[in-house]
Amino acid sequence: MKKEDTVKLISAEGFEFVIDKEAAMVSQTIHNMLTSPGSFAERQHGEVTFPEISTTILEKICQYFYWHLQFASGKETEFPIEPELTLELMMAANYLHT
Amino acid sequence: MPPQTPTQTNEPSSLPTRRRSLRLASNPNSDPSQCGAGDDSAATAVRVSNDPNSGPTGGDSSGKGGRKGRAADSPTATVRLDESGKGFLNLRSGKKVLKRGMEASHDNAVTNGDPGSGSAKRGRKTRTQKSQEEEEEQKCEAKDTDSDVDAVKIEKHNVAEGLEHFDSGDRGKRKLDGDAVNVEVGSTVAGGRKLSREEKGKSVANGEPHRGAVAREAPPLENRSGAELHSEERNAVPVQLRARERSRNTNNNNNNGNQREHGSNRMEQFRDIARENAFRFAHFRADEEENTNDDSVPEPEPEPEVEHEIEDWPGPFSTAMKIIRDREKKDTQTGCRPSERSLVESIEWVPKRNQSLTSGKFLVPSSLQELCLNILARNVDNIASLDSVPDSLRHRLSQLLCDSGRITDHFLELLVGGSPTEIRLRNCSWLSEEHFTKCFQMCDTANLVVLQLDQCGRCLADYVIYTTLAQSRGHLPRLTNLSITGACRLSDLGLRALVSSAPALRSVNLSRCSLLTSSGIFHLAESLKSLLKELYLDECNGIDAELVLPALVELEHLEVLSVAGVKTVNDDFVKNYVTARGHNLKELVLHNCVNVTDASIKIIAEQCPGLCVLDIMHLEKLTDVSIGHLTNRCRALHTLKLCRNLFSDEAIAAFVETSGESLQELSLNSVKKVGYHTTLSLARHAKNLHTLDLSWCRNLTDNALGLIVDSCLSLISLNLFGCTQVTDVFLKGHSNMQLQMIGLQNSPLLQNVKVPDPHQGALYYSSVSMDCV
Repeated sequence: MKKEDTVKLISAEGFEFVIDKEAAMVSQTIHNMLTSPGSFAERQHGEVTFPEISTTILEKICQYFYWHLQFASGKETEFPIEPELTLELMMAANYLHT
Repeated sequence: MPPQTPTQTNEPSSLPTRRRSLRLASNPNSDPSQCGAGDDSAATAVRVSNDPNSGPTGGDSSGKGGRKGRAADSPTATVRLDESGKGFLNLRSGKKVLKRGMEASHDNAVTNGDPGSGSAKRGRKTRTQKSQEEEEEQKCEAKDTDSDVDAVKIEKHNVAEGLEHFDSGDRGKRKLDGDAVNVEVGSTVAGGRKLSREEKGKSVANGEPHRGAVAREAPPLENRSGAELHSEERNAVPVQLRARERSRNTNNNNNNGNQREHGSNRMEQFRDIARENAFRFAHFRADEEENTNDDSVPEPEPEPEVEHEIEDWPGPFSTAMKIIRDREKKDTQTGCRPSERSLVESIEWVPKRNQSLTSGKFLVPSSLQELCLNILARNVDNIASLDSVPDSLRHRLSQLLCDSGRITDHFLELLVGGSPTEIRLRNCSWLSEEHFTKCFQMCDTANLVVLQLDQCGRCLADYVIYTTLAQSRGHLPRLTNLSITGACRLSDLGLRALVSSAPALRSVNLSRCSLLTSSGIFHLAESLKSLLKELYLDECNGIDAELVLPALVELEHLEVLSVAGVKTVNDDFVKNYVTARGHNLKELVLHNCVNVTDASIKIIAEQCPGLCVLDIMHLEKLTDVSIGHLTNRCRALHTLKLCRNLFSDEAIAAFVETSGESLQELSLNSVKKVGYHTTLSLARHAKNLHTLDLSWCRNLTDNALGLIVDSCLSLISLNLFGCTQVTDVFLKGHSNMQLQMIGLQNSPLLQNVKVPDPHQGALYYSSVSMDCV
């Protein structure tokens, strides 16, 4: 993965997840941050911090991004979600517009 | 009562056994002549039924082989002739109209009855079922040379009481005439009970009183000479005759009139019963009611000159109409004036999306929020708390649960837990009074801003309100939005209590609160005169428009008024209200207020310069003149809802030409004449349109729709119910990727019912400031 194609998502605890830009763009919020004409700091460094999203949730979200891309390209699978995570995951997804 | 399927019996299962035993034990009494006949036929019944036979309905009858033995077992109970007219009538609704006669008579029917139509459907009642089965046996045996005996038996049977007897006898008769009879059995039986069959399309009618049934009087008893009678019947009855006529014929032919006396009592009874139940079959046509309109003001007939007038006045409408007519002239210069359809077909549009590129399905993965919501909906009872869940998500979850029927008491407890700011339940029909009381007694309502309890008729009554929402004055201090639609047990007093506990109300939805009268609204207006901004009184038919008018006028800042479905709304009401308060009005809903005419729209256009939303669905008295007025005066209109109005294509096109730039939502549902002109106008001008309803506009072709959809760049939602003329050329060929189409090919429905935007403020047109409270 080349550096230009990736973004780094940082959770509340400081964990860093490096994922493809294409995957991150699944989230409308991140998409706007990275493509809007203004100069978000995120755009310049390729890093986005989420102080309200915990690590487990952010990890799940990254998995969702990749699942989304796979599904759209034809691979129809189910995305498993543990029930305990659901409430928090929903709130994070709401924030991320995804 | 709902109609039951013919295969369903509504007799308790103990009956058959009882009947069976009685059948074996019973004896015919009363009429000696009939009894005598009964014995004969009994014997013959035994004989006949013992012969296995495969008639044309062999398939059906073979299944009844077992029954034959039973028939043979009951030599005595063939004709039950004692009681007259005391059969057991089973109407479609399952109501027993006549008291049951002696079991004997039923047994008679059972044993002698011919099973009805050869078709699979059996009568509802076990009794008739048995009789039908018997009939069927007899039916296949009718092919026998012994059929004349059958005729006799059947005649006897006909004499027996109760309609089933008549049915079975009738059916039996039918079979005598051969195959064609079998085919017609179902229908012939129904011929007598024509209404019910046609009503319900069922093949077997049960014992309903009918003229036909009445006509199927008992055949003469004396014509027992069998063969000649039988042949007489056969010859006399052309196969194609309808049941009633046939029965009459056969009866008349054979009858010496002796039986008519027997029948007359029954005829009276049956007529009475028919009278009682005729209302069930009456059809009401709404337009017949027009004549009962007793407006003091005679409605002006829309004359053609008026229409020309509106076009002649200088103004945007006339300009637009001119443009349209010129356009039409230009496009039809080639030849004679083409019809509407060919005009529409002349629209050219090329599908931009290459159909071959999208291979197979266009896969859209669900969003993560949706996935989570679905999981939560499935595990509602395991959710421990909704703390920190934002209101918009709570509403989405609540909506999903209500729509899918998964909502539980536990969820309501979650919603009222903590100090909620918004509680929305779009369907409270599952909620019991006890649970409602329990939850809302302990709910901390200090911060409650929005309370929506739709369809709450079951749980919300006056006494419930006194103990929950109106526990104390000002119990709901910050409540701005209150929606209690369908609170059919809420009276004026309950409303009064609610209003006194919610002094800051800005928006009140009282749709379908049928007990409310204008005095309740007077009190509402008195308390909230300068606060209330939105009032919905849809279908509150306890409120008389004329009486409530002063109360409405008292509301100084009302921005949204909905009187949809209130029958007493007429031109006077609209005129008086709008003249007084029209200048503030932003949304007016007159959906289904059928007495409204062009005069009202004229006044609305003149007095409501700020009108943004107008709903004039189902107002069939409006003409193009109304559209003219709206075009000329209502420049702020961004949502126009039409349904089944009788406007012309040109008028709507003119409206769109003029107001198209500001138009956001347009409904042309069932506005049949929409076609060429509207298409072009929409394509050219409706750049901000996001919601469009073109259901039942069947003049629109693929090309027309494609042109609209590709040109209206903001279009997100398109309703196409009833547009079966649309094909894949449009569906797969349009290039608007964000478009959601509703109404074709199994699109989900409940999700698209309009719900308040969760990201919007509590009121549609104003912001709520709490400092004045």
